[in-house]
Amino acid sequence: MAFIGFSTGALMLGNFQEALRLLEGTSMTAVELSALRLPELPILVGALPKLDLGKFNYISFHAPSRFSAGEEDGVIELLRQVPEGWPIVVHPDTIHEADKWAEFGNQLAIENMDRRKHEGRSADELCHWFEQLPNARLCLDLAHAHQCDRTMTEAFRILSNFGDRVCQLHISELDSTGHHFPLSYGSIQAFMEIASLIPADAPAILESLNPLQEEEDEQQQDWIEREANRACAALGRCEVRREMPISPMQVPLSPASVLA
Amino acid sequence: MELILGCHWKNIEEARQKAETTLEQLSKIIEGMPSADTSVIVHGSLARYECTQGSDLDWTFLVDGEANAGVQETFIEIKKALSKESIFKELGLKPPGEEGTFGALAFSQPIILFIGGEEDSNSNTTRRVLLLLEALPIGERRVAFDRVRKNILKRYIDEDRRLLQKRQNVESRRWVPLFLLNDFARYWRTMAVDFAYKQFDRGNDGYALRNIKLGLSRKLLFASGLLACFWCDPIISKNENQEPSKQSLINCLDTFLSLTPLERIALFFTTHLNISESKLLRETAKELFCSYDEFLGLLNDSDKRNRLKKLRQDEEESARSSRRRGRREKSFARPFRICF
Repeated sequence: MAFIGFSTGALMLGNFQEALRLLEGTSMTAVELSALRLPELPILVGALPKLDLGKFNYISFHAPSRFSAGEEDGVIELLRQVPEGWPIVVHPDTIHEADKWAEFGNQLAIENMDRRKHEGRSADELCHWFEQLPNARLCLDLAHAHQCDRTMTEAFRILSNFGDRVCQLHISELDSTGHHFPLSYGSIQAFMEIASLIPADAPAILESLNPLQEEEDEQQQDWIEREANRACAALGRCEVRREMPISPMQVPLSPASVLA
Repeated sequence: MELILGCHWKNIEEARQKAETTLEQLSKIIEGMPSADTSVIVHGSLARYECTQGSDLDWTFLVDGEANAGVQETFIEIKKALSKESIFKELGLKPPGEEGTFGALAFSQPIILFIGGEEDSNSNTTRRVLLLLEALPIGERRVAFDRVRKNILKRYIDEDRRLLQKRQNVESRRWVPLFLLNDFARYWRTMAVDFAYKQFDRGNDGYALRNIKLGLSRKLLFASGLLACFWCDPIISKNENQEPSKQSLINCLDTFLSLTPLERIALFFTTHLNISESKLLRETAKELFCSYDEFLGLLNDSDKRNRLKKLRQDEEESARSSRRRGRREKSFARPFRICF
């Protein structure tokens, strides 16, 4: 059974504690602890031993999306404290010296990039990175792939070449300037076209920006469940139910019923 | 192909080298001008890598991005740069054709959205089909071109009913995209009808040259497009790994159409000759490529080209029965009939 959850950065930018608290009252079984901004990294790594993450069957860690060559060693040293079983998602354009990242082996998950970046966007560009880090896995970002090629042919190429490396998915919608949004009908339809190629057990991490960050917990949690169900529809997976844990009673939903 | 057949096609090789040099020069000329979400695309003999004396510089400034009136300024700068007399002199090129389809700004949305119907004008159809069959981005900005091309292909694949579906009680499925094939055929008919239109509009001016181009380079373009459609079928492409999915077909078409028309035909012959030796295929390939090599040789000879350009219709027809041109066109048409 595939796990589904959210990136803490998407739920509450810069406040992973609050994001985790919000997820407590949901049926989410996966979480990505996000330290997208460099100053967040030491704080999040420092807090790891004290976090109550027992609810989650799948946990991953997102490395900062920007740091200099001079800061690279410091970042790697902090990331060594991430438990070995948690994939570390990294943007290939942040890697200055690939050799230094080889020690992470298959814990490293290279993420395909969006149009703002100059590399790692396509199957051909990712090939270069997997040649340098042959044990690394892939975090397949469907929104990035969709933004680069609305026909999803590049996503098809990435999956054809590297489908066996997929360790998790990122799901959201991306506009032309690279900002994350909740899923729309168009993106759901697009993701459905290649859903059959995606490993069925790949955990799905939503990066849809929470539009209700100032609202009551219950409203936000309802939105989390709805958005997760939209993601499940896009992937052709069973819906998540808030009241009970995932069970064999769950049925696949049609997009029409989810979007109604 | 040359190795397999033991031939050397000097004119094809020269035309390719000239095209490579010219494309490199053009890329330098527009360096730094196109912005993100735009591509400068060449068509015609340059895109086919068949540059000869007096090849046209047919180009389009393709825009595929959010609304931005600033593209007009960029287009004007690019047009100025590509319209300089010095370019035409130094590179041996001619300005874009009279019809106004080229040397122009084109937005992706009408090209992708209007297939068939009132809005699908002659220009729109031409731009769309040439983006698939005969187009090459110059300079560094090619993302817009790649994107638009894949989106065009997706339209044809998405809306082709029963494509890839297994028929009732039959194991096989249809792989050939008929919607796309029909539009290629429609474009071929358009070229043929436009030939008559140009005769009406321009009289004898350039008649014989247009005629020979219709029978050879235009026909090659159409035939290579047809072949692209059939290449989707794993029996034709000999690709056992071809998946029955839309993105797989788009990928297949995108890759195949990235080749020049001659390369597409060559791939067909080399694929099938590598699998089983066939005297018929071998001779057919030889006939086709030798005819085309001769054709390019003629175009590259300025005397012969100018004589052809000035030849009147009545003169051309009276000479046809005993002239090499007629034989060349027949030698070119026959191999395609055998292939298909």
